[in-house]
Amino acid sequence: MSSVYDEIREAAELSAAPRRSPSRPLVRVDLSTSSIAAEADRLWEALEPLAAEHDVDLVRVGTMGLSWLEPVVEVERPGFGGGAVVYGPVRPEEAGEFLAAALGEHPVEDAAQWLIGARTPVQGVPSLSEHPFWAPQERRLMQSMGVIDPESLDEAIAAGAYEALDRAIEMEPMAICDLVLSAGVGGRGGGGFPAGQKWKFLLGAQSQTKYLVCNADEGDPGAFVNRVLMESDPHLVIEGMAIAGRATGSDYGFIYIRDEYPLSIARMELALTQARERGLLGENIFGSGFDFDLEITRGAGSYVCGEETGLIASVEGLRGMPKIRPPFPAQKGVFAEPSNVNNTETYANVPLIVQHGADWYRLHGTESDPGTKMFSISGSLERPGILEVPFGMGMDELLLGCGGGPPDGHTPKGIQPGGPLGGLLPASDLGLKLERPPFTERGVLLGSGGLILFDERASAVDLTKYFSEFCEDESCGRCTTCHGGSQRLVEVLERIMHGDGREEDLERIGVIDKTLQNANCLHGQFTPYAVRGLVSYFRDELDLHINDKRDPAQVAPGLTRYLITDQSDPRLEEAAAFCPTACINRAPVEVDDDDEPSDELGDWQINEPQCIHCDVCREIAPDAIRVEDRFLTMLSVV
Amino acid sequence: MERFAGLLQQLPRHQGEMLRALHLAQEELGWISRDAIRLIARHLRVSEAQVYGPATFYAEFRHSPPPKTLVTWCSGPSCRVVGGDRVRRIFEAEFGCHMGENTADDELGLWLGQCNGTCEKAPMVWVNGRVVGPLSMVDTVKLARGLKAGDDPVTWPQRPIKIAPATFVDAESTYGSEHADSAPDSANDGTV
Repeated sequence: MSSVYDEIREAAELSAAPRRSPSRPLVRVDLSTSSIAAEADRLWEALEPLAAEHDVDLVRVGTMGLSWLEPVVEVERPGFGGGAVVYGPVRPEEAGEFLAAALGEHPVEDAAQWLIGARTPVQGVPSLSEHPFWAPQERRLMQSMGVIDPESLDEAIAAGAYEALDRAIEMEPMAICDLVLSAGVGGRGGGGFPAGQKWKFLLGAQSQTKYLVCNADEGDPGAFVNRVLMESDPHLVIEGMAIAGRATGSDYGFIYIRDEYPLSIARMELALTQARERGLLGENIFGSGFDFDLEITRGAGSYVCGEETGLIASVEGLRGMPKIRPPFPAQKGVFAEPSNVNNTETYANVPLIVQHGADWYRLHGTESDPGTKMFSISGSLERPGILEVPFGMGMDELLLGCGGGPPDGHTPKGIQPGGPLGGLLPASDLGLKLERPPFTERGVLLGSGGLILFDERASAVDLTKYFSEFCEDESCGRCTTCHGGSQRLVEVLERIMHGDGREEDLERIGVIDKTLQNANCLHGQFTPYAVRGLVSYFRDELDLHINDKRDPAQVAPGLTRYLITDQSDPRLEEAAAFCPTACINRAPVEVDDDDEPSDELGDWQINEPQCIHCDVCREIAPDAIRVEDRFLTMLSVV
Repeated sequence: MERFAGLLQQLPRHQGEMLRALHLAQEELGWISRDAIRLIARHLRVSEAQVYGPATFYAEFRHSPPPKTLVTWCSGPSCRVVGGDRVRRIFEAEFGCHMGENTADDELGLWLGQCNGTCEKAPMVWVNGRVVGPLSMVDTVKLARGLKAGDDPVTWPQRPIKIAPATFVDAESTYGSEHADSAPDSANDGTV
């Protein structure tokens, strides 16, 4: 280890000591995008004045991944078994009550309503590691998440950040590439291309200037792995990029973060400033003569910028339109210089590999996908959140075990892996192993780590239409096959959902699929994955739409209608008041031979052309309003 | 505009600063006006078309002034599978405008947002950037009407996430039932 690093480490450990081994109680509040959405910022405001009163320190941390229990608070009490106990959700208005209970004599009993488990052993408190969400996890990247303050460089360094960089600087560039290659870390954006190989391409490129690019344009809806990484442990990403810089002979990098992640941008900006001030970025790092610096490029809402050539175009200040490869980025990338693009999570794995070696890295995972992977799970789940598990774990273990499956009374219907281009899987495929090959075999993509479970309430046709709309909307417009093809696809699906499906539509979908394969980039080529999944795995449902004009999930406005089934229900009045289009009415009863309007009102009626199928009325008066198949009921009337 | 022009001068004259310049314009002016495009083009030494291209390519840039209160509807699939599309229809009906449009008085507006990964709050909208969810359909109507009546969007109370019991500890005592179903009714009685 270099003496410069030693000095930095020593100073950081000293300054982080009060937080690492606190002498008075420490209250850690999870402040991340999803916890702030659950009002963790208001909780923080409520806790601040109370902290002094209770003689405790308040610390901001990133997320542990327990998204469904947010705002999550961890209390570490030196006197209380020395351990850290995790609580949640703690509502802002409960702050006082909670602190008093958690810091009192009997926290286990008094704070029982918030108690989740103990992160470090505490007598009498169930361990967090036994929690079904936590137990199968192998937390490597997430080791410090929710424990360290993402805005404190001292805490990061004291937890081991930049130690691997120090080691890497003393290694030969080729040796680092070989190490990463032998660990077998594949591109985490979904491609799975060996990162070490990519780095060798760049190392071999002949140029004075080489650029690194970090793809943090996590555009897949339902995937939020990179966001959690950058918000909870930003220095891990920076360190990984600096090591990659050393390995590829590059001295400058761009971190492209999507604009939907303002907190990630802010924390990464801060982390970069801190690292520069401490000499961890910039010129002559650790006195070794190695220079490396980074800047952040803020995206502006474009999905195709997640494709590496689109990303490069965007960094250059152009429209983010993908280009035809070759030339590959390693030949001609940012500003026509050789470049390397990797996903955020790929870079984040690098410090761990340098630190612990390739064999350690391969302890978990499979032959095709070694190591661990962070997954963000959401949709119809009891416990949505973010976790890190070894590749090769069963998807059922992840979604039903950790995630708890759908809420009571609902059954899994399908899985949506890998974002809009990833396709659809039926629930019978829940047993698939979480690695790339079985997914590819089934005609879907594992992608960047987003998994959405949906239950029988969701319509596979509607979801497919959504993904096709998304692909149409996000098509860059360069290839007619892509933007025109996705438009036709949406039209066909829209027609089917309005009861005008025709038998030849299946054939038409096949033709569109075939044509889309001529698109220049993966966006167009993968656009039909969703509809392919619909045709292969949800054929019954599609056939019901086309042939019987029925939607079993009853979400297609064109195939369903709302009916009032019980005129005596008193809640109908309220339902009518809540109707956004005021389409639930009752007209005065017409009385013959009388010009005076009657006070008496007739039956409640839904004016169907106005009805937007928003379900408000049924939510209010579930016993009096029913959704029926539009065409079946019409037939029975005739 | 003058302030924007001043801040723009601090950016290097390089086409790579395009997105930064456009973000700056949107932050300072609220939207990308024709004048802003002209200024950026002049500063970065590119043609106006080279600014107009990116300005219209990226979905985040507005080409009309923003409303006072912006409701961004999340279009993501996690929202979709739990009724997100209904939320959109309710807002469009209540506000009388479509995605990307403002109400006639420019007080309220709708914007199509892409998933920001707070999917455990689905279905949701962002009111002036703040996540509000999970929304029941009744909540949605209340929120829309509350905003129309001039409610301060910041005071809108969050609906606590439904708590799922875990199996390893006594579920009853750990996950008190009082969190489960409390809808944000009380604070909004006057708005409907």
